[in-house]
Amino acid sequence: MNNFGVIEVAGAKKTNAPGWAYVPDTGPAPGSSALQPANRKRAARNQAALSSSDLSVRQDAKIRKELDALDRDGSRDASIPVPPKPGRAQNKHTPNVRKILQSQKTFANHLDDYRALLALAETNPAAAAALNAAQLKPGAASAPTPPATAAAKNSPAPTPPPPTQAPTSTASKRSAAAAKRAAAAAAREAKEAAAREAAAAEAAAAEAAKAAEAEQLDIAKDKDDDVEMTDAPGEASTTETAQTTDGSTTTTSAAPAPGDAEPPLPPPPQTYPPDGTILPAYRRAPPAAHPSDDDPLLMSHVPYFPTDDELRALMTAPPLSYLDARAAVDDDDGDGYDASSGQPTYPTRHFCEVCGYWGRVRCTKCGSRVCALQCLTAHREECFTRYGV
Amino acid sequence: MAGGSRKPRAAGPVPPSITLVLDNGANTIKAGFVKRNSTSSNSGSDSVASTPAPRIIPNCIARDRHKKIYVGSEFDKCKDFGDLALRRPVEKGFIVNWEAQKEIWDREFFDDKAPQKCDPSETRLVLSEQPNSLPALQVHCDQMVFEEFGFASYYRGIGPAFNAYQDIQSIFQAPKTPETTVDIPAEVMLLVDSGYSHTTVTPIIQGRPLHPAIRRLNVGGKFMTNYLTRLISVRYFDMRNDPYVVNEMKEAACYASLDFNGDLEKSWKGTQGERREDYINGAGIAMDYVLPDSHTRFHGIVQEYDPTRLSRTRKGGVSAEDILTLRNERFIVPEILFDPSDIGMRQPGLADVIMQSLSVLPIGLWPGLLANIVVVGGSSLIPNVIQRLQTEILKRVPDACIVRVACPADPIASTWIGAANFARHEHVEKLAVTKQEYEEHGAAWVARKFAAGLRVDS
Repeated sequence: MNNFGVIEVAGAKKTNAPGWAYVPDTGPAPGSSALQPANRKRAARNQAALSSSDLSVRQDAKIRKELDALDRDGSRDASIPVPPKPGRAQNKHTPNVRKILQSQKTFANHLDDYRALLALAETNPAAAAALNAAQLKPGAASAPTPPATAAAKNSPAPTPPPPTQAPTSTASKRSAAAAKRAAAAAAREAKEAAAREAAAAEAAAAEAAKAAEAEQLDIAKDKDDDVEMTDAPGEASTTETAQTTDGSTTTTSAAPAPGDAEPPLPPPPQTYPPDGTILPAYRRAPPAAHPSDDDPLLMSHVPYFPTDDELRALMTAPPLSYLDARAAVDDDDGDGYDASSGQPTYPTRHFCEVCGYWGRVRCTKCGSRVCALQCLTAHREECFTRYGV
Repeated sequence: MAGGSRKPRAAGPVPPSITLVLDNGANTIKAGFVKRNSTSSNSGSDSVASTPAPRIIPNCIARDRHKKIYVGSEFDKCKDFGDLALRRPVEKGFIVNWEAQKEIWDREFFDDKAPQKCDPSETRLVLSEQPNSLPALQVHCDQMVFEEFGFASYYRGIGPAFNAYQDIQSIFQAPKTPETTVDIPAEVMLLVDSGYSHTTVTPIIQGRPLHPAIRRLNVGGKFMTNYLTRLISVRYFDMRNDPYVVNEMKEAACYASLDFNGDLEKSWKGTQGERREDYINGAGIAMDYVLPDSHTRFHGIVQEYDPTRLSRTRKGGVSAEDILTLRNERFIVPEILFDPSDIGMRQPGLADVIMQSLSVLPIGLWPGLLANIVVVGGSSLIPNVIQRLQTEILKRVPDACIVRVACPADPIASTWIGAANFARHEHVEKLAVTKQEYEEHGAAWVARKFAAGLRVDS
């Protein structure tokens, strides 16, 4: 088979055509004999056995077909006419309503329309806006085009979120959030490192705190909002208060060094989450103190809490489109972890197509999985009737 | 029936006092009226408690085998569910076919003999929709509401977000102290809505959904029913024309497995000639399901598994009833909610969808969201789904996070109850659009206003 080392990979996106699939032409010569087999016997003899990629393509088509069937409402298309009602007078509809009522579009049709509109908006924004401004994503449509009429200006229309807070593409939105998370994680790690070293040795503690301070300064450079920094802890103090970038106070108290006679200072009064106008702080009494609260091994490190501005940006962000909101497995780099959530993606489990137990054996003809000999025999009958011996 | 051209009398500074709250689901409509009284506009537990249950209307036009047609609540009169054909106006959670939807709404709310009759020109409509709808469908909905039905005032909001307008701490059975105040809307929660068409994950802060983090998993009750239909049709006999019967079977027999590998092992028949003890006595998994025969029984019956039944029928006792023995079908079907890749879907499981939703948000919000996960929708009624989801999430989040997953007492009506509380809340006055405003500014303006939602400072 002359495929120049190119292996066909079944892509995730394919048009759904039930019952058939593209498979590579495995005929001996793509020229004359494959198109017009003069000698049928020779053509049959030269036909190569199905390769594994053929099987996977065929199976993918089968899976897609089955998923489409599962997603359908009921097994057959129910075309039940609306029963006429004698008592009701046929009143006049407005043109819009008449159009909607007479529309026989399904959801798939609407989704295709929406896709086409998005594609048009990418290539020719002016035409798309002129076609139907209302059809676009509401947030995206409202942002570039200011309300035209005076009435719309005077009306209490919702202000579109500023473009800096609401990037139009979800990809950039997600990456921004990821960057934010990474910064928070780095700050936390720095604090942890500082606390651990402070417990080990006093001299090292000063060093580590300086390093932590330097790191925090680095992080603070990335952030454009103002950062309030406290002094690095000296040798004598046993409680170091690290000010995180968002202004929330996180107390990480180190254990007193051996020989240090001073009792640990009580932590300064604080709230978590930081008191904001959107999410108010916890107002009730904190839980009772425990003797080992200051134990560095038991201490919990409270994550960075978003500020009011960040929360507001999240809460007023425009809705995602139908296509973007679909959760998808995103492991294109093949590292075994989902790219968006960082969760491990486990290998697919395979089940017996006859009885539902683990699919441990593969049918050599069609590649479907069965559990053991009994189910394989049952499967063979079906397989032979479908594909021939 | 109010025509599109009639001017509403009640429009003006005084909002209508009656609100029709509709949770227009793909399978059932949850509908009820809410009267606005001046005292309960602020938050308080007494207004929560006084909410009556909604009326639940099948959202379909059905035709039985005798070609008789049932519209909406007439379906309750249908006795014979064999060979039933259904036409649903809602597809994937969104109202798509307005011809059928209008017929159902007309018969339920606007006709002279309608069971919940109302005059739209003096009524406000609070309608729930699924998140991430297509703009064209939203505009259609707004046009129908104002131009065809002529409601005086209208708000179309995201269904999951309405769930925040109830006392969610009582769902978790959190201990109450006298100084405990009920926050309405709830400060922070993560709502999982597992309905008929799909499952959505929506983080909500102060009643506002965090749109960038809303995720959808295309597995819902319909999908599971279809999957069970396929399994039974392959293994026993063809039930592809009886989705209603299979759905009943799913509701009666299916459960989410807490030990999938163990349950699968127990329900395996073994290799050829092998006699496995667990398979023969059922191991608590096998279950007999008596199918309806459409003469004396119109609903299926769940029976204890009887290992001797097969041998008795084989000996000559003719069994008059069709009995299915369900084994691993019972837990394989809800398993696709947690592992859609089992059937080749390229989507993560529900717990991973929640993690994907959280990954967009700052980590500081995670503890609050994870401690307040509420599951609503019909699929949350499957036994053990809540426990299974909790263990799956616990595996994925940092150890220090407290994970609480709970399901309200009535998960199907939960969105409606929240929406009814919302209709009494002051927020509705800021969000609702009157018919006059619609006529003045047009459908695109209304769509923009609904999409923007509440201002945060208010």
